[in-house]
Amino acid sequence: MSNIDTAVSELQAKHLTKHFKIREPGHVLGAPKVVRAVDDVSLELRAGEVTAVVGESGSGKSVLARLLARIVVPTSGELLVRGTPLAAKARRSLAYASDVQLVLQDPFGSMNPVHKISHNLFRPLSIHGASKDELRDLAGAALQRVSLDPPERYLDRFPYELSGGQLQRVSIARALCVKPKVLLADEPISMLDVSVRLGVLNLLRGLCDNEHLAILYITHDIASARYLAEEIIVMYAGQVVEHSRGTALVDAPTHPYTQLLISSVPDASNPISAAPDAERHNSSSFAQQGCRFSTRCTSVMDICRTQEPPSFVVGESHTSKCWLYRDRPEASVELAIPKRRGEGAKGRK
Amino acid sequence: MSTDALRMRGTKDLVDTATNVPARSERILQIDDFCVDYGVGEGSVRAVDDVELHLDRSKVLGIAGESGSGKSTLVYAFTRLLRAPAVITGGTALFNVGPSEEGGPDEFIDLITADEATLRRVRWQQVSVVLQSALNALNPVVRVGTIFEQVFKAHRQEMSRAQRRARAVELLALVGLNEDRLQRYAHELSGGQRQRVMIALALALDPQLVIMDEPTTALDVVTQREILNELTELRARFGFAMIFITHDLSLLVELADEIVVMYAGRIVERAGGRSLYHSPRHPYTLGLLNSFPPMHGDRHELAGIPGAPPDLSRLPSGCAFHQRCPYAMKRCATERPPLVNLAKGGRSVACWLHEGGEDVVVPVELRRREPSAKAGAS
Repeated sequence: MSNIDTAVSELQAKHLTKHFKIREPGHVLGAPKVVRAVDDVSLELRAGEVTAVVGESGSGKSVLARLLARIVVPTSGELLVRGTPLAAKARRSLAYASDVQLVLQDPFGSMNPVHKISHNLFRPLSIHGASKDELRDLAGAALQRVSLDPPERYLDRFPYELSGGQLQRVSIARALCVKPKVLLADEPISMLDVSVRLGVLNLLRGLCDNEHLAILYITHDIASARYLAEEIIVMYAGQVVEHSRGTALVDAPTHPYTQLLISSVPDASNPISAAPDAERHNSSSFAQQGCRFSTRCTSVMDICRTQEPPSFVVGESHTSKCWLYRDRPEASVELAIPKRRGEGAKGRK
Repeated sequence: MSTDALRMRGTKDLVDTATNVPARSERILQIDDFCVDYGVGEGSVRAVDDVELHLDRSKVLGIAGESGSGKSTLVYAFTRLLRAPAVITGGTALFNVGPSEEGGPDEFIDLITADEATLRRVRWQQVSVVLQSALNALNPVVRVGTIFEQVFKAHRQEMSRAQRRARAVELLALVGLNEDRLQRYAHELSGGQRQRVMIALALALDPQLVIMDEPTTALDVVTQREILNELTELRARFGFAMIFITHDLSLLVELADEIVVMYAGRIVERAGGRSLYHSPRHPYTLGLLNSFPPMHGDRHELAGIPGAPPDLSRLPSGCAFHQRCPYAMKRCATERPPLVNLAKGGRSVACWLHEGGEDVVVPVELRRREPSAKAGAS
């Protein structure tokens, strides 16, 4: 468990925005359409903490991870590494790549299949300046950190010889071997078999607790976010709609979208729960004006259709981007992400 | 490819009609001693091993298991959709095709020995399949409407053009889609819409049995919920039976009347949905249930299941699960436990903990942690 007083801000994003310009087939003239994939997202990743981003496909959560890894250049917004702002449009440096590592969803797709595991691990090591003699030891050490022991058994195998769970551990090891401070895990368990998922989640938890990594855990599975994270962010259509420390957001969701999301999760302990039937047909479309969830929202008001809501403070370290809470104070970036906290994910035994 | 490759039979002699069933049978599917191999000879791998299943009218049977557990192979094999190198090496799959004459007794055919003409009568009209990946299952180069056309042209020759179109519109309305979707191509639809089209197609000829192979796995949780609600409504209205395959056990507990859990090609536990959830008897079932973090209650560390699912070509001796099982005994490594019926609850389990049908309550530490009282409100 992280110690609050030592929680160092490793990576902070302020008002991060990415708009993609696209042209639909047949429309070559005129202004291109703009897709607001990530819109004004602020978050902070701290050492020894897991921050979860929950969203459906198309919510912009993967683009957010790529923005944080600086693979995608933001339209606007800024990134701060340990409090120091980065030059806005500067290219990603090797040092940044070593600090912030990305783990992808599909371990089979993210390994070079014609090379052994050793090659897949040696490449980042030598790019980041390891000498030839120490490659094997460093790679072995990285494998041990993800509980692939003894490493010799894995180094000379090909990716297809390993199971999905083992391979995802290898890709975490590959990220770890350049000594990152921040690990961005984009749906790391969704391609894995059910019985090995928890193993990978517990591995991430261990890295966070024992090695004080700052972890961003991107998922569509809100139950696993609740299990793993100190802080949960729910994204809808590129925006943060709800944000809380601890499990407040899952235990008492305030935003209608979060409520819909949670009531939709199959819950074996309470199987009669029928979810409110969201408006059909347009479940993947969102409003271009006002609140983006207004077309599907059951509590929609007039103001929702015309004006985009700001984030309101709905509880201690808990904000919600919904007009239902307009009598509450508005949240600033600082309010939304308190530097110190007295509560949080303390329930874990 | 010829179907002869699939017809390689075990030693069992089969009859086309089972005579020992009552006139109006509730049973619509009865699978016994069913085995499927991939490949023949030394390199062959047994993907489905000695499976027995039965399904009654209007019931939902859930099949749960991880990838490689044989759950999809099982249903594709008995519907005779598998191609070589898959070989059905034994067993029967009796399917109730209804009475051949008005007022007569229900007749069963064995899908495994049935010829192409018989299968053609059964497929889609009596048994239909909804595949996991709707994008790959729908023809990408024709409009949705054309796909419906083709189904009716093949199976309902008496229908006129106008009737075919009217029926297609009606079917789309059933799954909550507007008729303008008929003009669209598969790639123009969202994932949820495609899966709805698949379900509408599956229901097109009023089948008795609909097989759903992970129909919601690729969908968002909200869309999944909408589709599950729709399926429940449709089933209440048309009364078809359903086989629902998924790796998500908590979803099945909500949906299924009976659940079978498969591991390494064999059924390890069979029970009613609620009792499976509240009192799993096989350590693997318990491990699976404990692999889903709860949505409420205290957060505590969950262990999941150590190790990885087995490679079917190198199955461990004895019980296939023993290397991952926290309760493995000596004999588990050498002797394979048979699937036995437990004395109580109409359930079966294949585990030496329950030898001889004794309903041994799983040791306390093995019991699933019930989440404490529901925290908060939604």
